[in-house]
Amino acid sequence: MSGGTAAGLRAVETAPDRAAGYAGLATRVISFTIDAALITLVDIVIGVGASLILGLLHIPHELRTLLLALGTALFIVGSIAYFVVFWSTTGQSPGARVMQIRVLTTDGGRVTPKWAILRCVGVVLAALPLFAGFVRILFDSQRRGFQDRLAHTIVVDMPQPSLAQVSRAKKRAIYEASRLPPSADLD
Amino acid sequence: MLDDFHANSRPRVLRPLADFGTRAAMTTLRPLTGVVEAAAGAAAGAGISLERRAVDRLLASDELERILTTTVNSPSIQAALQHVLASSGAARLVDSLFDSGLIDRFLERLLANDSLWHLIDEIAASPAVTAAISDQGLGFADQLGDDVRMRSRKADDWIERAARRLIHRPPKALGAEPDAST
Repeated sequence: MSGGTAAGLRAVETAPDRAAGYAGLATRVISFTIDAALITLVDIVIGVGASLILGLLHIPHELRTLLLALGTALFIVGSIAYFVVFWSTTGQSPGARVMQIRVLTTDGGRVTPKWAILRCVGVVLAALPLFAGFVRILFDSQRRGFQDRLAHTIVVDMPQPSLAQVSRAKKRAIYEASRLPPSADLD
Repeated sequence: MLDDFHANSRPRVLRPLADFGTRAAMTTLRPLTGVVEAAAGAAAGAGISLERRAVDRLLASDELERILTTTVNSPSIQAALQHVLASSGAARLVDSLFDSGLIDRFLERLLANDSLWHLIDEIAASPAVTAAISDQGLGFADQLGDDVRMRSRKADDWIERAARRLIHRPPKALGAEPDAST
């Protein structure tokens, strides 16, 4: 990749990387709904595939129950892994990416896997008493729920370039790089 | 008739003498006619060469562009063109063009041409067109996402205000902006 292209892409990736505020309850609910839909979709595909395969075999009832329990455990582990991986790497799950919000530590750093797992546990604990743990988001000055208090995290608005903007900027950078004279790459 | 008059008025005695004089003059001047013809041909050739050089110089200079620009930008020319286009004669000309069936025939021949469809296939499959179509799809998704985000932010504020009203608490002042520089 030429210097011009790299510079153009760098500008696209870093320019709007600043927080505008804290994410509220409605935004976080929509983000979680998108994530839940994605997880469910993947689970449905896997579940249907597994059922079709197991339907061809003669499996005893006890073993069938065991497999069901194993599948449920895999579903829970997979769901936790989904959030832990995204929160501890980019700070954004796909739903959060769509809603342009990001999970950070209270001092603005990246969440470690340990604290991401704790946050997952916090989400479950906050949901158990009729979602009472999320009500705090409505009254907290930093819009932090129970899970945020537990894991020392905040959820911030993160305006970012959209996929179309990134795509257009990439094409523009490539086009401009292709128009540069050959000597310009030597700089 | 005039020749007859001259012929009749000329005395018969002088006619042989006159014929002799004419033939003598023609014999004398015959070598000169070749020279005159050659001179005329050379002059014509020189004129053509001069004309070609003048045309070449005109095409090579900016003068032609200036003339064309001045002509096109001329208010009188533009007014005349507008007048022609607005006239009923122009409309009749266009009507007669369509009524003649020439355009129908042209379109029939064009649509029956395999090269045209090949060209359309090439254009449709070109990277620029496919990129434009995918950009269009992404742009629509962006627009949808922007709308959802804007509404969700409004819903955030509205829910918080409603919740605070419900428990008789004043609207909150949000804390300091988070530092997301990392």
